[in-house]
Amino acid sequence: MITLKINGLDVSVEQGTTLLEAAKFLGFPIPTLCHMEGLSPYGACRLCVVEIGEGPKAKLVSSCTYPAEEDLRVRTASQRVLRARKMILELLLASCPQSKIIQDLASAHGIRQQRFKQEHEDCILCGLCVRMCAEQMVAKAIGFRNRGQNRSIGTPFDVKSDVCRLCGGCMYVCPACQLRCTYNEPEKAICGGCANLTPPCVDKEQFNDMMCYMDPCVACEIKKD
Amino acid sequence: MLKLSSIGELKKLRNVLFDRIDENKPRIVICAGTACQASGANDIIRVAKRYIIEKQLVGKVSLRITGCHGFCEMGPFILTEPQQAFYTQVKLDDISRIIDALLVDKYVEDLLYQDAHTGEKYYKRDDIPFFKNQQRSILSINQEIDPIRVYDYIAQGGYSALEKVLSKQNPEWVVQQVKHTGLRGRGGGGFPAGLKWELLAEQPSKHGKFLVCNADEGDPGAYMDRSILEGNPHSIIEGMIVGAYGTGATEGIVYVRNEYPVAVKHLNVALQQAHQLGLLGENILGTGFSFDIKLVKGAGAFVCGEETALIHSVEGKMGEPRQRPPFPVQKGINGRPTAINNVETWANIPLIFRVGADKFKEVGTENNSGTKIFSLVGKIKNTGLVEVPMGTTIKEIVYDIGGGAVGKAKIKAVQTGGPSGGCIPADKFDLPVDYDSLAKAGSIMGSGGMIVMDENTCMVDVAKYFMNFLKDESCGKCFTCRKGTQRMYEILDDISKGNGTLKHLDLLQELAEVVKDTTMCGLGQTASNPVLSTLNYFMEEYRRHVLDKKCDAFVCKDLVGASCQAACPLDTEVWRYVALIEKGEYEQAYKVIRHSNPFPSACARVCGRKCENKCNLAVSGDEAIAIRALKRFITDRIDPSVYKPKRISKSNGDARKIAVVGSGPAGLSAAHYLSLLGHKVTIFEADKEPGGMLISCIPEYRLPRDVARKEIKSLLNENVTLKCGVTLGRDITIDELFKEGFDAVFLAIGADKSWRLGLEREDTEGIYPSMQFLKAFNLRGEQLAKGNVGIVGGGNSAVDAARVAIRQKKVKSVTLLYRRTYREMPAYAEEVEAALEEGIKLKTLVSPVKIRYIEAVRDEGIKVETFVEPVKIDSEKGHLVDIRCIRNKLGDVDSSGRRKPVPIPDSEFTIPLDTLIVAIGEQPDSDCLASMGLELDNGGRLKVDAKTLCTNRQGVFAGGDLVTGPDTVVSAIAAGKKAAKVIDHYLSGEELVEPPKVKLPEVFVEPAALGDEELEDITRVEPATLPAKSRKKSFAEVEKTLSVEEATREARRCLRCDLEFTQCTESEKAECAAVEGKSA
Repeated sequence: MITLKINGLDVSVEQGTTLLEAAKFLGFPIPTLCHMEGLSPYGACRLCVVEIGEGPKAKLVSSCTYPAEEDLRVRTASQRVLRARKMILELLLASCPQSKIIQDLASAHGIRQQRFKQEHEDCILCGLCVRMCAEQMVAKAIGFRNRGQNRSIGTPFDVKSDVCRLCGGCMYVCPACQLRCTYNEPEKAICGGCANLTPPCVDKEQFNDMMCYMDPCVACEIKKD
Repeated sequence: MLKLSSIGELKKLRNVLFDRIDENKPRIVICAGTACQASGANDIIRVAKRYIIEKQLVGKVSLRITGCHGFCEMGPFILTEPQQAFYTQVKLDDISRIIDALLVDKYVEDLLYQDAHTGEKYYKRDDIPFFKNQQRSILSINQEIDPIRVYDYIAQGGYSALEKVLSKQNPEWVVQQVKHTGLRGRGGGGFPAGLKWELLAEQPSKHGKFLVCNADEGDPGAYMDRSILEGNPHSIIEGMIVGAYGTGATEGIVYVRNEYPVAVKHLNVALQQAHQLGLLGENILGTGFSFDIKLVKGAGAFVCGEETALIHSVEGKMGEPRQRPPFPVQKGINGRPTAINNVETWANIPLIFRVGADKFKEVGTENNSGTKIFSLVGKIKNTGLVEVPMGTTIKEIVYDIGGGAVGKAKIKAVQTGGPSGGCIPADKFDLPVDYDSLAKAGSIMGSGGMIVMDENTCMVDVAKYFMNFLKDESCGKCFTCRKGTQRMYEILDDISKGNGTLKHLDLLQELAEVVKDTTMCGLGQTASNPVLSTLNYFMEEYRRHVLDKKCDAFVCKDLVGASCQAACPLDTEVWRYVALIEKGEYEQAYKVIRHSNPFPSACARVCGRKCENKCNLAVSGDEAIAIRALKRFITDRIDPSVYKPKRISKSNGDARKIAVVGSGPAGLSAAHYLSLLGHKVTIFEADKEPGGMLISCIPEYRLPRDVARKEIKSLLNENVTLKCGVTLGRDITIDELFKEGFDAVFLAIGADKSWRLGLEREDTEGIYPSMQFLKAFNLRGEQLAKGNVGIVGGGNSAVDAARVAIRQKKVKSVTLLYRRTYREMPAYAEEVEAALEEGIKLKTLVSPVKIRYIEAVRDEGIKVETFVEPVKIDSEKGHLVDIRCIRNKLGDVDSSGRRKPVPIPDSEFTIPLDTLIVAIGEQPDSDCLASMGLELDNGGRLKVDAKTLCTNRQGVFAGGDLVTGPDTVVSAIAAGKKAAKVIDHYLSGEELVEPPKVKLPEVFVEPAALGDEELEDITRVEPATLPAKSRKKSFAEVEKTLSVEEATREARRCLRCDLEFTQCTESEKAECAAVEGKSA
């Protein structure tokens, strides 16, 4: 067992427990986007950062990937953490404003402004779908491609994957997926206009021949007709 | 190649090889590093080989082809042994001469390396400052060996470290030795290599352990790892074998980027050779110890230099960092313990065991032992690889080794550590270069890139460049790194386009800090450094972009427009009149000039030509358009009456009375523009005629009096009253002016009081301040100079005084004395040149190589001396007889980025003189202003608000030299022009200055069609001058005007930077056509 201090409280956890799990155990809320129980931790959204260490050596780490260490001091809601979290949410809001989850998180953190140029992206590259596909569906139909600002999720060479079973798991876990219910005019989306966690496209007949990661989105195409 | 089966055999082999070396045998060494290959080393090698074979010199002279020596600026070069002569930028025809000279132990004098600054010639390579100031313990081996010959390496002591380590039979000792040296990882992080090895050695070795050489060098501008891999691959291999022995590693991997084909080739050859010799593989040298190295080629993702991403890449996965802990030492490639070190770290290992850990530790500083290689690039004279002990200051690297700035632009900052590093400003150049100091200054050591930046580098653009790089090269996993770099780029782009606000700066800072804080790997955590360090040290530059919409480095295109126009203080549309000259529309061209410049004819002769300095032709290394000569061509041809200025007539109630004090370019411009706005202006001039410096100071041979007078007259109209012979302070005061009913006062009395040397007996007869000397002649025709004349100073007024003096009847000789080198002379180069042609001697520190005009003087048999400073004045019977001078040498770099002149003790000498003219600078004669309640600064200059020209007294404005100290005519005109606007606003109660606007070219002028042939042989036209002999005794104008053919040809050279802003794009053209079609 490893004993550490989270927000001043002692907690003992098993070897290999992440800080996020330890904090949860104590009941400290830490927002996450790219974390899901049952999927391996990834550390992409950075929303779950917590502050560890003391003095000049203090630093922020993603709690979902950082393993609990003996005697570690963790602060889950220090000023530094909150400042970073707010900026991340502002960035998320600037890229993907249609997501109900992001809207709610931003609202809960008191974000009242968004100072960047507005974008309407339909993916925050959290990688939940990739891990879902690989780890739960054992398909590995989709994965990350390219790097930097060209990074995207899809099948290799955009060719329909033979291993995809069209299970829709990727869409089920997507925190940004609501976008797909807004036609291809995301600017017109109203707040929470589609807080439907089961995207309608999954139920459609035409979906049988389609892949979620095809552009334009099936659902949008259907509604247009 | 025989397999060596014991340590003894290796020793024997080395002895045999060593004995074979004949140090006295003539040899030429040619660098074939990638940089030299790019500058033509391969051809040099081919020709050298052929020459040796054809002339049957095989056996008499040998040839060695090596990796990089580091002096890439001078490639391709040839080093001869045993002479150690260093021939730079060798041409194919030079090779035979070099070899022939070497055979008879002679030098090819004209090909030897020469210092461009001092002209000094160097016979031995190691005397060259670039090499002399380095400590090349790693790079120096490159020149001794052919990288594809393992015997070369062994003969130079190669694999002796391995020998030592294997004989010791104590792995723990190996690790402790490295740990003892305190060697820190050269990849950038600076983690102690010995500690890393110790951690690896402690790991269980059931499934084997990995050692990795990280050769994924991806920083823009850094290439030291490449030069080691290419030039000395065996040192890496040896280092890794030693490391493996110490840590118990079983497999080695060199992760090298595929963009380094030569490195890959040489490494492959070296690995094969090491295998054949039994230095790698099973049972190394019969000791039972086994270790093998594999080469893995990276596909060029910058992030793969990060160790966890590198591990993923080696495993065949996407190059993406992961959370540490677990550290690679615990869980690395395929889950096995892995230690990753940089190329340079590995190259240091053999050295440690060869010289001993204690000796190694002596180099460098306490926590930073050993040497470090930097790739010194950017706006620096000696580009190349530089190896210095840790703790060497940036100053030493940049100035002593790098040779300082390339051109006249001052060095402003160095960027260390590549995209993850930061910029360190010039005033922090005393910083010792080591891991801790750099981190403290907000940068990082990185792998050792050092990019030098000068005034022509825009720091916003630098930050933008790196963000652009990083937004593409971030792996994209962490949201904050991917999106953060993208957003930072976006904001910087906005700023560079003139759309930035102060809020943008705050947001940028905030975002940069969060990105630094919240990302997972080293790339992301340092990605904001370029932004944070430039924000920290160059905030002013950001604010200029945001508030004034100005990019002083002329880099941000959308703020600059056409650089000639942006450089002109008057905002003249230079590109436009140059284009009109090409079209033959001279009247139009005149109107364009006159529209922004009330003194076109004067400026056509004496302008400081900021436009030509910033001309994109000049910036890109070509010769600038001769803009001033073209302006002269137009103003000589077109009558001023062609241009009718727009006049606003005001009713008597609105017209105000304004007093302008001083009738120089500033005063006259202000009066002119105020009169056009309908105000009643009275000009008060102390001298007997208006014109200020144009008449009283600038000599007639530069600006003929009738030209100046005609132009001054053209600016006067019925709204302007001129009162000459009225001096402020003596005849009138500001209070009186207000009492007389003036609503505003503009002070432009210039700066015409010469500075004094501050020496004893300075009032002796025969010594004159330059202003007094020039005024006496220009206004009253008095010839004060006689006999041997000396002039102290290097500015325009010094040169003017010199050239006026030499035209005076009783003058025998004229000598200019300047305390720095010719490069620092503030006078216009062509004026200095003309002065020298007229027989004026120039004593500066510089010896006269490659300086066209000084050579011309030498041809006339005139002695040119080094830089001097008067220290004592001798007189006899109250008259000057001689001055004692002291010689200077170049000292430390001062805050202006120039080397300070430092007196050499006991170097005094005497110059007999009959006349001494002191022209070391001027200041305003402003004592009277203080008594009128105006605030002055230490230099006697009037303090004003730079934006509004307001003084501390209500209604009193000032501009020109009175405010700036001696400056150009065009700056004074600009001040006058601005003052007119401000005063008009003041009088009508409006906001004094309008918000800054970016002025981009707007009018489209059809460009000329130039053929390729014409482009090739087109060179700058210089206006003809009177021959030196005939002009020396006359005051006729020296410079002549261009002919129509010359002017047209010159105008055709223009790059037409304006077209980028005025020319229709293809889509716009289509749109235009569509609109036209419809209307038709």
